[in-house]
Amino acid sequence: MSAWMPLLPIAMVGTERQPGPLPEWPGEIGQLASQAALAGDGPANEVLRAMAVIAACEAAGLQDRAWTAAPPEPAAADRLPVVPDGQGGHLRSLLRWALNEAPTRLQQQLFADLAAAGLRLPETLLPQALELGRRSVALRALLLPVLGERGLWLARQREEWRYAAGVGGDALEDSQWTDGTLEQRRAFLARERAADASAGRARLEAALPELPAKERADLASQLAIGLSLGDEALLDRLRADRSREVRDVALGLLLRLPGAAHPRRAIDRLAPLVRGERVLLRQHWVLDAPAAAGSDWAADQLIAERPQQEKLGERGWWLFQLARQVPLAWWTETTGMTPAELLGWARKTDWSEALQRGWFDVLGATREIDWCEAFLDHAFGDLGAGIESHRAAQVLGWLPQARRERYWLRHLQQGTLPLSALIAAASGGETLGPQLSQALTGQLLTRARAGTLKDDYTVRAMLADFGAVVHPDCLLAYGSIADQRAAGETAAYADMLQAVVQTAALRRALIALQLDPTPRTP
Amino acid sequence: MTLTMEGVLALAPDEASAKAARGLTSPAKWPLLGADDAAVWGECQGSGSKPYQTQVDLRGPAFRCSCPSRKFPCKHGLALLMLRAQDASRFNSGEPPAWVAEWLASRGERAQKKEERDQKAADRAADRAAQLADGVDPAQAASALADPDGAARREAQRWRRIEDAASELQRWLGDQIGRGLGALDDAAIRGWRTMAARMVDAQAPGLGQRISAAADGWRAGADWPERMLSRLGQLQLACEAISRRAALPAAAQADLRTLCGWPLDQAEVLATGERLSDRWTVIGVIVEERDARLNERRVWLQGERSSRRAWLLDHTHGGRGFEGLWLPGSSKDLTLVFYPGGAPLRALVADETPSTAPASTEGATGLAQQAWSAEWERVAQRIAAHPFASLHPVVLSNATPVASDAGPHLTAEGRAVPLRLGDEDWWSLMAVSGAHPLEVMGEWDGVRLSPLTAWAPGSARPLWTRSAA
Repeated sequence: MSAWMPLLPIAMVGTERQPGPLPEWPGEIGQLASQAALAGDGPANEVLRAMAVIAACEAAGLQDRAWTAAPPEPAAADRLPVVPDGQGGHLRSLLRWALNEAPTRLQQQLFADLAAAGLRLPETLLPQALELGRRSVALRALLLPVLGERGLWLARQREEWRYAAGVGGDALEDSQWTDGTLEQRRAFLARERAADASAGRARLEAALPELPAKERADLASQLAIGLSLGDEALLDRLRADRSREVRDVALGLLLRLPGAAHPRRAIDRLAPLVRGERVLLRQHWVLDAPAAAGSDWAADQLIAERPQQEKLGERGWWLFQLARQVPLAWWTETTGMTPAELLGWARKTDWSEALQRGWFDVLGATREIDWCEAFLDHAFGDLGAGIESHRAAQVLGWLPQARRERYWLRHLQQGTLPLSALIAAASGGETLGPQLSQALTGQLLTRARAGTLKDDYTVRAMLADFGAVVHPDCLLAYGSIADQRAAGETAAYADMLQAVVQTAALRRALIALQLDPTPRTP
Repeated sequence: MTLTMEGVLALAPDEASAKAARGLTSPAKWPLLGADDAAVWGECQGSGSKPYQTQVDLRGPAFRCSCPSRKFPCKHGLALLMLRAQDASRFNSGEPPAWVAEWLASRGERAQKKEERDQKAADRAADRAAQLADGVDPAQAASALADPDGAARREAQRWRRIEDAASELQRWLGDQIGRGLGALDDAAIRGWRTMAARMVDAQAPGLGQRISAAADGWRAGADWPERMLSRLGQLQLACEAISRRAALPAAAQADLRTLCGWPLDQAEVLATGERLSDRWTVIGVIVEERDARLNERRVWLQGERSSRRAWLLDHTHGGRGFEGLWLPGSSKDLTLVFYPGGAPLRALVADETPSTAPASTEGATGLAQQAWSAEWERVAQRIAAHPFASLHPVVLSNATPVASDAGPHLTAEGRAVPLRLGDEDWWSLMAVSGAHPLEVMGEWDGVRLSPLTAWAPGSARPLWTRSAA
């Protein structure tokens, strides 16, 4: 109870209407208050004089209060050492900058680098890091290992950060599937497929009837994880789905199951059209197109009637459809030719376009590296404009990054693609190889020296993103872009260069941490 | 002074300046970089044809730059110090160029003139004190000194005005209690604001502030009547004290003067105040925006040998930065001069010359742990000696931050204090604590504690500091 309580009735109503006796307070302070009031001049003044005593004594006595709630569970001790201070806190201020301002790709990189060095984030940066993870699902998986015990504890203290809490085990939470967004459901299904493929299939199958077409296609594509003949029955039903997107996904996955009945039937239809002939001593392959559509075609998603806008003739259209259901491996095994030789051979037949288009579609589903490279090296001309360069870009996208870089490098050296397109393609993915990094950095430096980089708005906007993926050996050169100051540069450009400096400094510091062989204590 | 990135960033007037400065830390931007023991200088290539000439006198640190920025210190000055902190080897040592040497010399001159002025004021104050001690009537003493500035006369005049205002305030307080707080409405509260303005007119702005604060508290929170009674009670105490000012001891008179918002002349404080040399550790720093462009900095210090606490109060206008570097956890050998009062706390730094020992956290052992009750005892003692004191430095040992339905608290052994802390600061305090106990220094206003600094038990280096407001 506050010391003011007894006085409230009088003070609220006022002494004019309630001049009545002053309340009495216990103890010495009470005596002092009464004494002071006695000397007062009129009722209001008496109250005021008592108030003066109570106010001063209350202020002197205000302090802590009793607390009965159980003490909170303290955070467990951390096993991982924390990021060292480094250069008078320089590393930490770089980390703070990166969490605040850097592109997502650099944030991913820094979490990965810290994890690789066996370190965790400093406590003071944990709220920021957890907040980042709340906003970006893409960062979460990488963030979790560097949170340490303290970060996981902190995540449990705030509703918005719960995503990071309780992640000790990698247990699947059903609620992510039942109540989650499409993204969460996809991730959930992917993890379940990896752990137990048939359970994931059963879960998907049960959910299919209530899903819209786009989500059916999206989730069905997760069957690629742990794909086996056990999935054939479901895929066979999905290839008859009323949505074309879903049918394409199912057909694409069936192409990756050579033992399945559908691709076998496709091979049986095509095989008679490819004949080996011996001319002199050399094996020679001859290709024919179907003369008529089969009666069983419709059941296997083969359309007999040629669409009106189709460029191919009727027989070419049939051949194209047959070819796009046959795994590419059948061609190399049957003819003994390499993908490059097959592409050359196809060009000499009457059915060149039908075959190439069929193969291209299969490749889109199966992405065999040797075929991708054969297409890039032999199928597309000099990559002018139009459909060919569009397809070339698609094929590039199907290659794993390490293989892709060779082509980027070629385009860079031959000047067949603008620097901005290459930087855009290279940024955001995996860390680039040394050769491509060097070449791209070299071009950036040349432009910076010439003073033209500041005017290239597309490229300069991607400088920081590029810095996140540039090869470690090139970081020094990358950072030196910022030493090339141009006359008349704007504040915005100076900001970008500063981001370059910070990116280079941060990544180099992180790499140094991994190389540091001295043992660290938590 | 030893430079660190954190220390330099602490000098920035705002976050934008700090960011802009980071953007200038590329050595390529600085065609000239130089330093000696007293100063750092450099030329920074800006957007114009001529580079900006930037220089920092390390004794303040004090900044000067030829750029047109109104920020103080400007980004160039900050960037220069950052560069110095990052890599001192980039700076040429040697004779400073003319534009640096001239500035340093003029600063020295100014400091000397100020010293002379201060000395004069101090002499006058000492004379007056001597005559008081001889039993001469103060008014006579003042006139006997010929009082060249008429200062004593003006002082007596101002006290008369304040006394008149206090009796008016006394009647007004009686009216409020006569009518009752339950009868308050918007019109009545407007009357309170008028009363506050009258106090300002009567040269007692401090009383005006307290009336305004009481008006602001009207219907704020469930316990507003209690809070308001407490505020009016304090005003009553002030009226009583002012009416019998002459009978009060000098220390209490000084407190009354502060209460009225009538600051003592710094030179006089320096000349007559209680001096205390000690190794002073910064236990808390806070910069707050008061009015639109007025910033207030409060630095809380604790003496290593004396265990005394002190606070340094500074104000700057219009986005200028504060002089001097006070990093929580660092220590300096200083002589402080305390403002007079019943429980002296506010102080000035008497010796501006830096000590030979650099500011450091090395060797310090951290704050001595003590029970919370001892801290509350300190607060109670201070209020007993100076009942108008409203902000108290408090160090709570063994304190665990706990979130509860009633908001954030610090707890220890079945006791708790509620905190006043922004969301971001609260979560970073939680993060460093992990529900393990900390030593926490904060400002206690009787209701809540505003934490400023936190340490791990027994450590001298702070784990956490409140972010700049």
